[in-house]
Amino acid sequence: MIRLNDIVVKFGDFTALHNINVHVKEGEFFTFLGPSGCGKTTTLRTLTGFIEPVQGSVFVRGKDITHVPIEERNIGIVFQSYALFPTMTVYDNIAFGLKVRKMKKPEIDEKVRTIAKKVDLTDEQLKKAVSQLSGGQQQRVAIARALVTEPAIICLDEPLSNLDAKLRVQLREELKKMQKDFGITSIYVTHDQEEALTLSDRIAVFNKGVIEQIGTPNEVYNHSATEFVCNFIGDINRLSDELVQKLAAGGAEIDPGAHHYIRLERVHVNEPERAGVLTVPGTVSMREYYGLYIKYYIDVGSQTLKVMERNDGVRIYDEGDGVTVGIDPADLMSYPAKGEEGAQ
Amino acid sequence: MNGTLARPRPLDTAKALQLIGALFFAYLFFGFMLLPCLNTLTSIFTTRNAAGEVEPFAVIRFFLAGNMAKFVWNSLKLALCLIVTVNVVGISIVLLTEYFDIKGARILRLGYMTTLIYSGVALVTGYMFLYAGDGILTTAIKEVNPDFDPTWFSGFNAVLFTMTFACTSNHALFLRNAIRGIDYNTVEAARNMGAKPFKVLFQVVFPTLLPTLFSLTVMTFITGLCAMSAPTLLGYDSINPEIVRLAGSSVADEAFPQARAALLSIILACFTIVLLTVLSSYERKGHYLSVSKTKAKLQKQKITNPVANVLAHIYAYVLFIIYMTPVVMIVVFSFQTYSAVRMRKLDLSNWTLLNYFGQADYSYLTSRGTYKTRAGSISGVFANEATLGGIQTSFVLSVLAAALACVIVVVACNYIFKHKKTGTVLEYALLFPWLLPTILICYSYRVFFNSDGVWYVFGRNLYYADAVRILMVIAYTVVRLPFSLRMVKAAFYAIDEELEDAARNLGASPVRTFLKVKLPIILPSVLAVFALNFNYLFTEYDMGATFASTYGTTYAMVIQSMTREEGLYGYNINASGRRCASTVFIMLVSGLILYLVYGVGARDLSERLEARARWRRRWEKLSGKAAKETTETPGGKETKAET
Repeated sequence: MIRLNDIVVKFGDFTALHNINVHVKEGEFFTFLGPSGCGKTTTLRTLTGFIEPVQGSVFVRGKDITHVPIEERNIGIVFQSYALFPTMTVYDNIAFGLKVRKMKKPEIDEKVRTIAKKVDLTDEQLKKAVSQLSGGQQQRVAIARALVTEPAIICLDEPLSNLDAKLRVQLREELKKMQKDFGITSIYVTHDQEEALTLSDRIAVFNKGVIEQIGTPNEVYNHSATEFVCNFIGDINRLSDELVQKLAAGGAEIDPGAHHYIRLERVHVNEPERAGVLTVPGTVSMREYYGLYIKYYIDVGSQTLKVMERNDGVRIYDEGDGVTVGIDPADLMSYPAKGEEGAQ
Repeated sequence: MNGTLARPRPLDTAKALQLIGALFFAYLFFGFMLLPCLNTLTSIFTTRNAAGEVEPFAVIRFFLAGNMAKFVWNSLKLALCLIVTVNVVGISIVLLTEYFDIKGARILRLGYMTTLIYSGVALVTGYMFLYAGDGILTTAIKEVNPDFDPTWFSGFNAVLFTMTFACTSNHALFLRNAIRGIDYNTVEAARNMGAKPFKVLFQVVFPTLLPTLFSLTVMTFITGLCAMSAPTLLGYDSINPEIVRLAGSSVADEAFPQARAALLSIILACFTIVLLTVLSSYERKGHYLSVSKTKAKLQKQKITNPVANVLAHIYAYVLFIIYMTPVVMIVVFSFQTYSAVRMRKLDLSNWTLLNYFGQADYSYLTSRGTYKTRAGSISGVFANEATLGGIQTSFVLSVLAAALACVIVVVACNYIFKHKKTGTVLEYALLFPWLLPTILICYSYRVFFNSDGVWYVFGRNLYYADAVRILMVIAYTVVRLPFSLRMVKAAFYAIDEELEDAARNLGASPVRTFLKVKLPIILPSVLAVFALNFNYLFTEYDMGATFASTYGTTYAMVIQSMTREEGLYGYNINASGRRCASTVFIMLVSGLILYLVYGVGARDLSERLEARARWRRRWEKLSGKAAKETTETPGGKETKAET
């Protein structure tokens, strides 16, 4: 469906994208994830035509669109700020693209009302100014406006970043449902790993203008390809050299020269002994209560390990309690030591 | 690709438009900004002596001999004194209405803001109506004390007094905004740490106002330096009136008047350039920005010391009286008969609208003992030919220039925001007139275009006969460009860049994107700039006086001349009354414009839709009621129709 081949983008002397290669399948929800300034929006803008790459090509359904003007690419965009035209009503915002295409009035009206219905906008809301709508309604208008011209692809550039936490979760669900209903190929840009993990079919993790990993949410979370991805996605413990030595002494086959990481939920407190699990003694130094989970900070001598335990209401440890921490070496993610990047 | 139709890219049109734009702006800059002013500059050094030889430094020698330095010194003295007096009064009125808890602050604010709706000649003549030799107050004092000097309100003191109150408009607008922008939490924090109210004022509040105060001070200085109407009407020898006088003089009367006018204009320009450079380098350092995430609204501070509180109230109301008295008197006297106005005595039993509308004859006793009647010698603003002519001229010239300035800066801003490097060049070119005093531009036009040899205006003498109106429109436009550019550019900043991307993404061409998306967003600001430009130009005096042409007699010049011609040979009997009515008319026009700009014009689409819905509901309610009445009352239909 979408193929970005060896894309290089430069701003003066600065290279923003280094040989980006992405292949997005038809109907897929694909996310560009990464910290600010990593190149995810630049990649999106290259796909949509706002930026022309100095090298490489963009293909959509086998057609090279690298040098096709923005207005002829037929790619819908939902902008970070939604970019709704403040001087137009909701109806006029949605109808804008159709008017540009010089469609007849009745046809425009039919298309606008159909798409509005699909995104749950009432006739009354269509008459309003966009500023009279709530954040969620505005997002629906932006989606309707992007979809009404029946684009081949829809790009969503951090559309939830300006909303409060509760609304973000609510709209995330709506967004996923809408994407499934429309079945349209979607490119989603975000720096929020939780958003990426919950929404996407596949994720491309960006860092400093390169893609570190492309994979399903499970792949990038549990089998992070690089140390950066491992650090960027979710919370994690990097094991100190001393702890690594302890584990090696306990019989674990691990390379003492590498960097070893373990997810919080893979570390267990006072777990009954089981084959392959190595234990180290520790003391609870702090506890954070999350309701469904409890997060413990446990001193194990050379470092403090973070542990996320399911709250069963029975095994709850207080600060100062002596505990044993169980680690299965098979759960470790190890990377060759190249530097101190991402060290915790 | 779902079969969407591809549209042709309007690249060639865009390039052609850019080329036309570039040529136009080059024509505007070189033809109407640079060349005329350069001509003025060179004219200083091309003076000819009696033998017809060029004497490059004759004017400079003349200046250094002291003959002209007086005007420069007088202007400097006025500007320096104004810095003190305007800041004292300006800061006072803002603190009294916005910072301290003074009873009746709302009424006081209205009084202090009256200078927003009348200024320039209208204001000066208003003050003269009160304080001049034949003014109401002077006449009243003279009745009580016959030894009182009736000429007390003239010269430097009168100009300083009038301009002090006339120039506080900027304080009323900008300092008020600055003080309202203060985070009240900082005041509370200082109080919490034990600071007394006045310590808070001087150590917490004032420092945040300093950048605004600095800008206001520089602007006040420039205003004082370039003062025109007050010195002209109140008789004070400063630079601008002298330039206008010299511009109209000839070599037969005095030594090289044109070159002297040019030199004075250039001196004025040098001062302006230096001051604006200082101002912009200071502005570049940046303003104090509130770092608070949740800004608290400023709450008024009670003056705890009872004596200080009473004194503050007295001071506030004395200022209010000074501001309001001319306004009230002008409004009241505009409805008085010519005899009451001439005697400067209120006649509560006799009110008239003759100063506004209609005409009347005037009979007077001649030296031969017979009565003579002058037909139509008493006439209102809207019946007097000269006044109507002035209004008409000012209206047409102002509308044209205000609109032209808006169109030019909108096109320019659209370019500036898209093209960083060349855009900056264009921006500086349009800001160029800001560096030059208005009088220099107008004087340069008057001299440069008073010739058949300027090829780029097709060899037409633009100072000749009614062509001067074209020249005035160009001058008005050029003078308003910097202000318009700054305001419209600020509006362009408010446009979210993603809006343009969104429109392009939806298939709109750059021209369509501009017309359908960007222009509607900036339109309220553009209309506001248009209205403010019109407001400024409609009552403008300085430029009209510099051009001093019978074909370009503006409204302000008509107002200025009214008193001079009053009662001469039985003509123009109610000139003072008409002048009052003219001032009231100006106040109404300015008030209406300010209401349209800041009231109606500031509404966004949602507010407009709400207002429309409100009107619809009211209408439906009314028509529903009417329908109900029609059905309930027998024969009600006829009754309603009659109503």
